[in-house]
Amino acid sequence: MSGTSGTQVVAPQPASTGDAGPVLGASGRRRSVGGYLFMPALLLTAIIAVVVAVRTRDLNTLERHRLAFGYVLQKFREHLELTFVSTVLVLLIAIPLGILLTRPFARAITPPAIAVFNIGQAVPSIGLIALFAIIWNIGFWPLVVALVAYTVLPVLRNTMVGLRQVDPSVIESARGMGMTKTSVLLRIELPLAVPIVMAGLRTALTINVGTATLGALVGAGGLGALIVSGIAGLDLFTTVIGASLVAVLALLIDYLASIAEDVLRPRGL
Amino acid sequence: MRYPKRSVRLTALFAGLAMVALACGSSNSGGGGGSGGGTGSSSDLSGASFTVGSKEFTEQLVLGQITKLVLENAGATVNDKTGITGTTNVRKSLTSGQIDMYWEYTGTGYAEILGNDVSKAPTDQQQLFDAVAKEDLAKNNIEWIDLAPMNDTYAIATAGGSDVTTLSQYADLVNSNPSDGSMCAAAEFLDRADGFPGLEKAYGFQLPDSALTEVDLGIIFTRVPKGDPCKFGEVFATDGRIPANNMMVLEDDKNFFVKYNVALTVRKEVLDKYPQIKDLFAPIAAKLDTETMQKLNSQVDVDGLPPEAVAQQWLQDNGFLG
Repeated sequence: MSGTSGTQVVAPQPASTGDAGPVLGASGRRRSVGGYLFMPALLLTAIIAVVVAVRTRDLNTLERHRLAFGYVLQKFREHLELTFVSTVLVLLIAIPLGILLTRPFARAITPPAIAVFNIGQAVPSIGLIALFAIIWNIGFWPLVVALVAYTVLPVLRNTMVGLRQVDPSVIESARGMGMTKTSVLLRIELPLAVPIVMAGLRTALTINVGTATLGALVGAGGLGALIVSGIAGLDLFTTVIGASLVAVLALLIDYLASIAEDVLRPRGL
Repeated sequence: MRYPKRSVRLTALFAGLAMVALACGSSNSGGGGGSGGGTGSSSDLSGASFTVGSKEFTEQLVLGQITKLVLENAGATVNDKTGITGTTNVRKSLTSGQIDMYWEYTGTGYAEILGNDVSKAPTDQQQLFDAVAKEDLAKNNIEWIDLAPMNDTYAIATAGGSDVTTLSQYADLVNSNPSDGSMCAAAEFLDRADGFPGLEKAYGFQLPDSALTEVDLGIIFTRVPKGDPCKFGEVFATDGRIPANNMMVLEDDKNFFVKYNVALTVRKEVLDKYPQIKDLFAPIAAKLDTETMQKLNSQVDVDGLPPEAVAQQWLQDNGFLG
């Protein structure tokens, strides 16, 4: 050792993540207060810009209907519901499944299971909802199922990669200290996997916010109604407002998820 | 109306971007009713050459091919410029002389092309045609010839065999039990004054939001026959998917919807030179009623046949290709 004074604290470094290439979370330490305020300030500015643009414009019939405050609020809420319900379902499916598939006894079925969810992500949501429209129905639940099918994979894969990259020697030490397998999972493996799992979740959330715009084509509502109406009526203004609101929602949700990630991530990681 | 009917098909819109680029690239071929003997007494057009245009959707492609085949059968050389995306573009091609003729709709001519207030359009189809033909000839030197009986207007359709056969009965149904009048419609129909808002006013009903589902046009044909989530749906009256899905169109008994009869529009200088065109297409237009057009559209959209083959078969079956 060259002459550094003091002891070097060795945090449990995750092993190299290897082949799967998960979406890595924002590494490093928690942000400063200014860092936390930047995104809300930006989004607030965007919202104000949208409101000013709508208020100062001489609205035509289409815009008076589609850009009315109550109408936009309702579409915003529908969009939020689609995103929220589908993401909760994704978490309920992908995280337990990711834990199961990384246990030693499941090693044999891991590749076929992953293949199934790969198919889910390979089929575009619009194809799936078109199929559902014929064999099932349209509306809220068919779209939610399509969204879930599309976004289970990134969360599942990141959960598995996150759990696998935990240093085996750390797990061994914990077992050596007398911890049960369950408490190793809950107290060592899952906390160490949080940054990577959360990165997958944020990917899923962003995809869901964007894809939920398809709701306007299948009777599930959402902010896509503004975009579609603007395209059909050649009203670029309405389309731009709709797209801006979708972008604001996506950034807002991603921001909230990043806070959740900071809270859940164990100290020192 | 400041936006065109028929811009509704999103797929067409996106596909259209590519086509516009193509159309722009090749702007200076073909052109005017060329030289040659143009004074034949019968419908002989030997030696003449024409450029035929159309819009980009199925019905227009079929009509374009009919036009092309009939002109060729009369001995003319035809340059095929069918499939131009958007009313504005195809119309510009006509007035600038890049194409010589295409089939246009009277309602579109009245509102979008001539800029009149669509709510003031004459309700009688012949009166509407006469008004449009007169104004377009005077202002733009475009001749409207041979009004066809087919009317590609907005319509409300429901599953075949329904007790409700007119829009008045539909309004009564909504007023007595709104959920029985559940409706699927696309954005453009819901936004246009000559669409759903005007329909509610004209027939005196108001459908609650809970009974109204906003969808893409294509989905209407998969859900209305099943009655879930909607028993009624917005369609265009000549859509081939109406008969293909065993649906029926409700009669517009108060004459609310603007008429969109189709007619061949030709540049005046071309028609002056070749007046036979009028005799050539009059019997064809007369045969193009709404049911016929539905069938022709269905052969393309449902059976997957190419527009040219559908046009050829229909012309042969009706003895127009002598």
